[in-house]
Amino acid sequence: MSRHYDAVVIGGGHNGLTSAAYLARAGWRVLVLERRHVLGGAAVTEEIVPGYRFSVASYVVSLLRPEIIRELDLPRHGYELLPLDGTFTPLHDGYLWRTDDHAQTLRELRRWSRTDAEAYEDYGRLMFEMAKFIKPILSIVPPDPTSLDPRPLLPLASLARTFQQLPREVQSTFIQLMTMSAADFLDGWFETDPLKATMSASGIIGTFLGVRSPGTAYVLLHHYMGEIDGAFRAWGLPRGGTGAVSEAIASAAREAGAEIRTEAPVARIRLQGGRATGVVLESGEEIGASVVLSSLDAKVTFLDLLEPGALPAEFEADLRRYKFRGSSGKVNLALDGLPDFRCLPGAGEHLRGAISISPSLDHMERAYDDAKYGRWSRRPYIDIVIPTLVDPSMAPPGKHVMSCFVQYAPYHLEPSLGGWDANREAFGDTVVETIAEFAPNLPDIIVGRQVLTPLDIERTFGLTEGNIFQGELSLEQLFFNRPVPGWARYRTPVRDLWIGGSATHPGGGIMGAPGRIAALEILRSRRPGRRSRAA
Amino acid sequence: MTAWDAVVVGGGHNGLVCAAYLARSGLRTLVLERREEVGGAAGTTELLPGVRVPALAHTVGRLRPSVVRDLRLAGHGLSLLAPDVRVFAAQPDARGLTLWADRERSIDELRRWSPADAEAYAAFDARLQRFGRFMARLGGATPPDPKDPRVADALMAARLGLGFKGLGRREGRELLRVLPMAVADFVAEAFEHDTVRAVLAVRGVRQVAMGPWSAGTTAWLLTDSDAAQAGAAGETVFARGGPGALAQALASAVRAAGGEVRTGAEVAAVTSRADRATGVALADGEEIEARAVVSGLDPKRTLLGLLDPVAIGPTLAWRTSNLRLPGVVAKVNLALAELPDFPGTGAHHAERLGGRILVGATGVDDLERAFDAAKYGRLSESPLLEATIPSLLDDSLVAEGASARHVMSVIAQWMPYHRRDGSWDDPGERDALGERVLRALEAVAPGIGALVVARQVLTPLDLEREYGLTEGHPLHGEPGLDQFFAWRPFLGGARYRLPLDGLSLCSAGAHPGGGITGAPGANAAREVMADLGRR
Repeated sequence: MSRHYDAVVIGGGHNGLTSAAYLARAGWRVLVLERRHVLGGAAVTEEIVPGYRFSVASYVVSLLRPEIIRELDLPRHGYELLPLDGTFTPLHDGYLWRTDDHAQTLRELRRWSRTDAEAYEDYGRLMFEMAKFIKPILSIVPPDPTSLDPRPLLPLASLARTFQQLPREVQSTFIQLMTMSAADFLDGWFETDPLKATMSASGIIGTFLGVRSPGTAYVLLHHYMGEIDGAFRAWGLPRGGTGAVSEAIASAAREAGAEIRTEAPVARIRLQGGRATGVVLESGEEIGASVVLSSLDAKVTFLDLLEPGALPAEFEADLRRYKFRGSSGKVNLALDGLPDFRCLPGAGEHLRGAISISPSLDHMERAYDDAKYGRWSRRPYIDIVIPTLVDPSMAPPGKHVMSCFVQYAPYHLEPSLGGWDANREAFGDTVVETIAEFAPNLPDIIVGRQVLTPLDIERTFGLTEGNIFQGELSLEQLFFNRPVPGWARYRTPVRDLWIGGSATHPGGGIMGAPGRIAALEILRSRRPGRRSRAA
Repeated sequence: MTAWDAVVVGGGHNGLVCAAYLARSGLRTLVLERREEVGGAAGTTELLPGVRVPALAHTVGRLRPSVVRDLRLAGHGLSLLAPDVRVFAAQPDARGLTLWADRERSIDELRRWSPADAEAYAAFDARLQRFGRFMARLGGATPPDPKDPRVADALMAARLGLGFKGLGRREGRELLRVLPMAVADFVAEAFEHDTVRAVLAVRGVRQVAMGPWSAGTTAWLLTDSDAAQAGAAGETVFARGGPGALAQALASAVRAAGGEVRTGAEVAAVTSRADRATGVALADGEEIEARAVVSGLDPKRTLLGLLDPVAIGPTLAWRTSNLRLPGVVAKVNLALAELPDFPGTGAHHAERLGGRILVGATGVDDLERAFDAAKYGRLSESPLLEATIPSLLDDSLVAEGASARHVMSVIAQWMPYHRRDGSWDDPGERDALGERVLRALEAVAPGIGALVVARQVLTPLDLEREYGLTEGHPLHGEPGLDQFFAWRPFLGGARYRLPLDGLSLCSAGAHPGGGITGAPGANAAREVMADLGRR
């Protein structure tokens, strides 16, 4: 008999590592298996150009759950978040620059519209209230609305009571946020086009939706959720890149006794008598475990790692229609200087935050229109950060790295284009040209370039169709429908096989929530009085 | 001055339905209609001497059977005509796809397009029938108000819960999953042929400022399927004499029950005293007192047009002004010298043209492209047309010896009310719209232009001016997920009672929304009667 663990976690991304840390802290013998040579999955730091280190894929920390930071004591394991101050939106004839300095932002907005500056304050207050209400949803296990068991509905009932007590305005706003498009929602508040365009961008990141698509307003809240976490600071640039977050969680897991192996690709999940009993590596090595927890996406977990016939036909049919539809790409640039924006020249503070290529709602929507018909955006939305300005250790002295998150880049290109392998550099050129319209010196300061298409994201990180959130965040794939209706509670139809990555509630981003909740659910299911722990 | 129990503002079909129910319960009820004829946009217009056409809406299949029964509309002259054909979708290259009331006949037709789709049709049709029945049940319910729960809400929830349970666990889950979906995805889960998909998806975008890829269009498709036996083919039922005959029958029912209907009586304002509606003031200065004022106008016109801004306060005024009513529909009515030739009909020429005729439903992305234009304030190059030739079934529309033999009613989209490329008031714009629609018709019915004896073109602006539809929106507000059920028109106003005591809304702006259903009118009447102590 091969080695036996209480739990094997497939995938060493930040969620898998989080699960492992929680299980190990409960005294379980845990093994994490990572296919690549580095940990972190999409939250990874790699030296792509000699001397230049990049947060290759995921590039900012968004809403890493404060309870995880606290419970795993991540700062002691090297986790440090550096501020990412403000958002700079360059325009062809000016700019919009919002910073964390509230008074300065209001002055800036007044330059555009007096009523918008006024509305901005009301908006902020309301969204803060909203975020306070919404936040608990990120920590609950989704109930099954068709179930007869009332217990899982309890957290929802308490949420409903809270909802009932909210002021009418907050109630209405909640409904609007859950159902409207970001653009429609913002149209109700503001008139400044670049402001609306830049704010709406957060609603489309990682989705195959446009700013005018219903269902995109909700993500506007995320920004304010971070604010509530206050002292824990949930938004920002991790020192050492996003890989450092994964390393910190891995360190906490190891300290608790978890074993972590890299370059250990899992070939399949071992089944005996209809239950998961371990995994088989590509090397042929077999590893036994009482529980198998996959942090990979639902397609890889169920369709690639399980033998055919292991799943109920209905479940498999539901799975096959699950939508991935990767829509974004990433361009990482090594620079020997800083971009010089025509609208605000020089290496000022405006480069230290996010730089958003989102000059108008039409720009955003047209970018989406291209993608709908199978082309990458001719003029994409680009979210740029230059981490070296706050963390100079990422590049040689005086040099910089620039991370460009690009949307849209549809995984499925129109057939006549000939696939992503034939278009990678053309896509990279589009991105550089788009930025150069605002910062003409950019092409001259590039010393290295990495272009990640959705196909590359799939190949490198194992994310199906390059979807960075392990599945489209459309309304019908959220909460009790994520990843499969009736199976949103981290359990799967295969006994002792669990799933707990971004594919499950509450979804993607460097949040850690799915990994934590899945681990806690596993622990709960094995408590005395419940089903006995399998040997 | 006479005091009334209830005054209904607007003699559209919902206002009349509401008034008829109120009058039947013994309430002294008065309907005030601005135009010389009742019916509003659901009327019949004389295009030429002896030649009559539907004003805007042309089918009435969603009219609630309970309304027809309760108000004994047959006795008041309503005669419904239901052809065997439901829809004929004209295609380029002299092809066409016909769906029939008879499922088997539709399946035979689909076999020519795709055997797999023919195979899938029965299950899809059955599913739409099931979901449609649930939507009809939902449409008959008074939505709850989270701030003000009542015993009636629990009863309503229980009734709906029963309907939901009746769907079965799997179908219940499915309903919840598909409601917020894009209709393009919904049909793609069942069908493979692009044309088949477009023809089945088209009702999800009927008369709305959304394309098939917009989230929530499935909810609108299901709502449109709430007509008895609508199913996948959709309803095609005509009122003999045009929709105006329905309005006449309703007016007759109001009068028979002791109510009064006054035409040519424009309401200028709702009068109020101490936060309570006390009646209405007519444009000619006459004041009419009533215990209850019920508005059959859209919510924007009602709250912003008829009320003193002080009475509603700034917050409600702001929320009302943010209601989304972006009209995208234009109407073209044609008198034709003879029946046009659609080569795609093949055999059964006249039979296939007797239902709804679709032009432009060629593929899902074609529909989406037609919609794209509207996002940027432009008119669709290849508009989507829903046409009917009601004179094929109804010999009362064209008098013997008139200069035309047939009439054609064409609802065209997407023709945005808010244009960026010009103004609807510019000279020639109305004719240009007519030409655009005729070009699209000519492409599938060569020679039709030469048959046109008379033409009436109603732009979205005309619809606003002529029928009082704010922004020309025929549904009194987008049926998006953000203006749905308990938040249509807004949270706290969905129980048909508006935030001024004594003022209710019985129009399509209230749940369950637009279309000729009579449901908002009937539901509102129930609530007004409860408030006035009737039942």
